[in-house]
Amino acid sequence: MAVKEMPALPNTASQAVDIQERRKPLGRRIYEGRVAYTMIAPTFVFLLVFMYYPALLGLYRSVYKWAPGLSADFVGLGNFIQLFTKDRVFLNSMDHMLQLAAWYVVSTVGVSLFIAVLIHRLRGGRAQYTFRLGMILPVVIPAIVPLMLWKFIYDVKVGPLNSILIWAGLEDWTRAWLSDPNVALYAVMLRNFPWVDGVAILILLAGLQAIPYEIVESAMIDGASEMRRFWSIELPLIAGQIKLISVLTIMWGVQEFTAVFAMTQGGPINSTMVPGMWMFFNAFRINKMGYASAIGVVLFLLTLVLTLVNMKFITTEEY
Amino acid sequence: MSAAVTGTREQYRRTRSEQVGVFLRGDWWRIVLLGLFLVGGIAPLVMAFLISLKTIPQFARQPFALTFPLHWENYGFAFEIVLEFIKNSMIISGVTVVGVLLLASLSAYAFGILEFPGRQVLFYLVLSLMMVPSAMTLIPSFVLVKDLGLMNTYWAMILPWIASGQVFAMFILRTFFESLPKELFDAARIDGASEWQGYWRIALPLSKSMLGVAAILNILGTWNNLIWPYLTVQKQALLPLTPGLWAYQTEYFTRYGLTMAGLLLGSIPLVILFVFTSRWFVAGLTSGAIKV
Repeated sequence: MAVKEMPALPNTASQAVDIQERRKPLGRRIYEGRVAYTMIAPTFVFLLVFMYYPALLGLYRSVYKWAPGLSADFVGLGNFIQLFTKDRVFLNSMDHMLQLAAWYVVSTVGVSLFIAVLIHRLRGGRAQYTFRLGMILPVVIPAIVPLMLWKFIYDVKVGPLNSILIWAGLEDWTRAWLSDPNVALYAVMLRNFPWVDGVAILILLAGLQAIPYEIVESAMIDGASEMRRFWSIELPLIAGQIKLISVLTIMWGVQEFTAVFAMTQGGPINSTMVPGMWMFFNAFRINKMGYASAIGVVLFLLTLVLTLVNMKFITTEEY
Repeated sequence: MSAAVTGTREQYRRTRSEQVGVFLRGDWWRIVLLGLFLVGGIAPLVMAFLISLKTIPQFARQPFALTFPLHWENYGFAFEIVLEFIKNSMIISGVTVVGVLLLASLSAYAFGILEFPGRQVLFYLVLSLMMVPSAMTLIPSFVLVKDLGLMNTYWAMILPWIASGQVFAMFILRTFFESLPKELFDAARIDGASEWQGYWRIALPLSKSMLGVAAILNILGTWNNLIWPYLTVQKQALLPLTPGLWAYQTEYFTRYGLTMAGLLLGSIPLVILFVFTSRWFVAGLTSGAIKV
C-alpha cells in the first residue's frame, strides 16, 4: 500500500488520495481519466463546431469587407471606424437600445417589486399561491403571441388602442402607433402593459420570503409603519435580488431584437432600429456580412464589459 | 404596548385565515390591485378569443364585443395549419432537449464527480461561452449551417441548439452533482461499479427533478426562438411554431378571426406542458438566478 511512502500523516482519507494522485506521472493520470475525457468529448465536439468556431469566425470576419460568394478584402478596423463615425443608423440604434434597456429595467424592477410585495403581504396562504401562479402563467404563452397581439392592438384602423381613445373622446391622440416615426419606438417599448414579469416576481418573492419573520416582527413591535417596514427592512434585504434582475434585464436588453423584428423590423425610417436588428439587416438583406460581423463583435464587447462590471459589483457588495 | 398587540393580532390573523381558508379578510384592496394586474395581463388574450369567433363582416360591424352566431370553424381552419407547426416544434425541441440532457449530464458528471488533469481549465472554457451573445455567432453559424448543407432540415436548428443549450444545463447539473455526497460514489466504486454505472445508476436517478428543470428551461428557449428558424428554414412544411405563427399572421393579417384562432391554438402545447410540470417550471424560472 502507498500509505507507507507518505511523508506526513494526512488528516482525511480524501487528502490521502489527493497526495497519492499528485505523485503519479501526468501521462498516467491522463490515462486514468480516460472515462472522464470520453464523457466530455461529445460536449466539446458540439462546442467546437457550433460555438467556438462561429465565435472565432465572427471575430475574424469583422475585420473584412465580405459578402458570401465574393472574395473577402481585409479592411483592418475599417468596419468599426465606419460604425462609430459614419453610420448614423448604427449610432441611433445604440441610443434606442439604451432607451429600451433603461425602460425594461425600470418597468421590470418597479412593477415586479410592487406586485411581489403585495403578494408577500397577503395574509391568506391560498391567495398568495393563487396570485403567484397567476403571475407566472403568461410565461407559458409563446413569446411571439403577445408580440403579434400588440401589433394588432396598435393597428391604426382596427386596433383597440385607437378605438379606446376615440371612445374616450380623445380622437386627437389616435396615431398609427407603429408607423409613425415619432412614437414607434415608444410603442414598442410600452408593449405588454401592465408589464407583469413572472420570473422577476418569483425571484423577488423568494427573497422576501427568506427574510426571517422575527426581524419584521421586532420592527413592528417598535412601531414601524408599513412603509417603513418596506424601505428600511425589506428593500435593503432584497437588494441582491433587485441587482440580479437589473443585470439580467440589461444584458438581455442589449442583445434582444426579436420584439423589434416581429413588430416593426426596425422601421419606419429606422426609428425603432436596434443594433441586433441592424446587424441582421446588413447581413441578410444587403449582404454586408463583414460589416454585420463587426456589429456582432461590438455587442459581444458590450456584454463582456457589463459582465465584468457586474462581477466586480456583486463580489464587493456582498454582505 | 399597543404596538405589541398589533403584532400578535397580525400573527393571529395570519394563522386563522390559513386555517379557515378565509380568502378576503383584511386583504381586499391588495387582492383588487393584484387582480387588476392579472386582468391587464390577460386582456389581450381575451380580446383574441372574442375576435377569433368572428367572420370578416362581423368584425367590421362590431370588432370587440361578442357577435352571434359564433364561428368556431375559424379554429378548424387554423388548426390544420398550426398543427403542422406544432408537430415540427415538438420534433425539433424534443430532439434538442434529449441531446442537451444527454451531453450536459455526461459532462456535468465528469466535471462534478471525476478527477482528471485539466478539469478546471476545460470547465472554464465551457463557462466562458455563457458570455458570448447569440448575436455574435448568428452570422457565422448561418454560414456554417449553409456550408454543411443543413438548410431546410430540422438539423439546422437541432444541432446548434444542442451546442448552445447544453452550456447552461451542464452548469446547473454540475452544481447539483457536486452537492451529492461523495460517499455514494465511493461506495459504488468499492463494490466494483464502473464510472458509467455511477453515472447511470446513481447520479441520474438522483437528479430527476434537476433534469426536469433543465429540460423545461431548454424547451422554453427553443420553442420561442424566432430569428434562427426564420433564417434557416424557408419551406413552410418544416417551420416550427414561433416563426410559423409569425408567417401565418403575415399571410392572413386582415382575416382577424383566423389569425387570432391560430395564435390561441399555438399557445396550447406549452400550457399543457405547464399543467403537468408546474413544479419544475417554478424551480426552473427562478434558477435563472444562478446564471450570473
